[in-house]
Amino acid sequence: MSDHPILIVGAGLAGLAAAVELARQGLPVLVIDQAQAIGGAVHRQPLPGVRSTATGAQAHRWSRLIAEVQAQAIPIRCGTRFGGVDHTGAALLTGALSTLIRPRAIVLATGARESVQPRPGWTLPGVMTAGAIQSRIKTLAEPPQGRVLLAGSGPLLLAVGAELCRLRHPPIAIIEAARPLFNPASLTLPLPYLTEAATYLAHLLRARVPLFFGAHLTEIIQTNGPLVAQIDTRKGPRNFAVDVIGLHDGIRPNDAGLTNCDVIPTLRLGDCREALGARAALADGFAGGQKLAAELLGTTPPSPNHDLQRQRAAQARLARIYAHDGLARLAEIPAETVICRCENRTLADLRALGPAPTARALRLDGRFAMGACQGRFCAEWVGRLSDLKAPPKPIGAARWPSRPISVADLLTTSDPIEKETK
Amino acid sequence: MNHHIHWQARAIPFQTGESVASALQRAGIHQLGRAPTGQALAVFCGIGQCQGCLIMADGQVTEACLQICRDGLTLQPLDGDADV
Repeated sequence: MSDHPILIVGAGLAGLAAAVELARQGLPVLVIDQAQAIGGAVHRQPLPGVRSTATGAQAHRWSRLIAEVQAQAIPIRCGTRFGGVDHTGAALLTGALSTLIRPRAIVLATGARESVQPRPGWTLPGVMTAGAIQSRIKTLAEPPQGRVLLAGSGPLLLAVGAELCRLRHPPIAIIEAARPLFNPASLTLPLPYLTEAATYLAHLLRARVPLFFGAHLTEIIQTNGPLVAQIDTRKGPRNFAVDVIGLHDGIRPNDAGLTNCDVIPTLRLGDCREALGARAALADGFAGGQKLAAELLGTTPPSPNHDLQRQRAAQARLARIYAHDGLARLAEIPAETVICRCENRTLADLRALGPAPTARALRLDGRFAMGACQGRFCAEWVGRLSDLKAPPKPIGAARWPSRPISVADLLTTSDPIEKETK
Repeated sequence: MNHHIHWQARAIPFQTGESVASALQRAGIHQLGRAPTGQALAVFCGIGQCQGCLIMADGQVTEACLQICRDGLTLQPLDGDADV
């Protein structure tokens, strides 16, 4: 079994950094990613012939990591999806590499998902996550067609807005629920955070993008024309007619449907365990790779990673700077607002389950977190709406498959494990 | 952009390596169908997490945001009304 590779799910910063550390210790690894190219969300690579929109610091970080990946000749299979790992330690891969494998250990480095707070009209075509706009910019250096509005909360809104300005397609406005620039604690952030923010603001101010702080997008309507976003600003209501709306309310671990396995070491690294951003993901990947190597080889475990602690503190500070009253608005959204996008379940459907519904009632009666996205985009809000004061609890235990698998994919999956046991 | 994918009856050019979602968006196609629940299907997360952009590509159900364009690829909505 020692010749079996360690399966690393996700070819972003955390996954590749872990792969490099494990390979350095002579341990065989296999990295898979469902995208067609490595990079993850942060270092999503431009298509051939497209200029990179990465900043100098980002490009430098990535090229250093890639040099190590190449030096270790790490095998990477893109276009390959992780279905899950069962209680025997068999992992199902579909797509370009379609097989059941029995890895020696599993590193889950599936990154983050975006959190998007439900609002009336958030399911209309043309309304997407700010990250979806950003990944298009990163791969194509091309803005979406038409007028773009960015709304929600978090540093990503300013980043995507600045990238749109650099492409000479500035957003119509940015609607940010918090008031980060008016919070004196902003100045206590680490210097790289401040210079990054200053660069974004410089682009946005030069392009004269209206920035609304302490403002909320309350509703999106469409009647045979553009999307009309209703905004609650500090100076009263406004509305904007646009073609594309990018929503974003922070990032969370992308861990839906990921289970641990009792018979092999399973490790979660980077944003997949704790959404702390790119700097932390790289540090966590290296540290996690070292820790797993020590565990498998019976050597001394490495000392705790201070980089990770620093990033955790910085992110906590950032969260305080970006604190806002958006959650209070969640309880006031109209009853017909869709909460679960997959199954089209509304706030009224949730309320119909009575006070404090059990996970079983939420799933079986309410159909919440039962759709194809497995609650990635609704579970947080279902939890919040049940109890606005407590941090949201997951709706029931995680279960594989971690993503829908087509029967066609299953039929083409080779099964070397079956042959082994016969 | 000499190659095309086919969205229903319409030929749509694409850039080598780009996703079906991004080629369709450039062509002004946002609504990719309608789920049996009545929910419009459209690109939302853009990175294969939300399953909101499911389409038929050469007869197989797949996410428009993960499917890479290739010349002659035939695309259909799963169900319901879609942009043309």
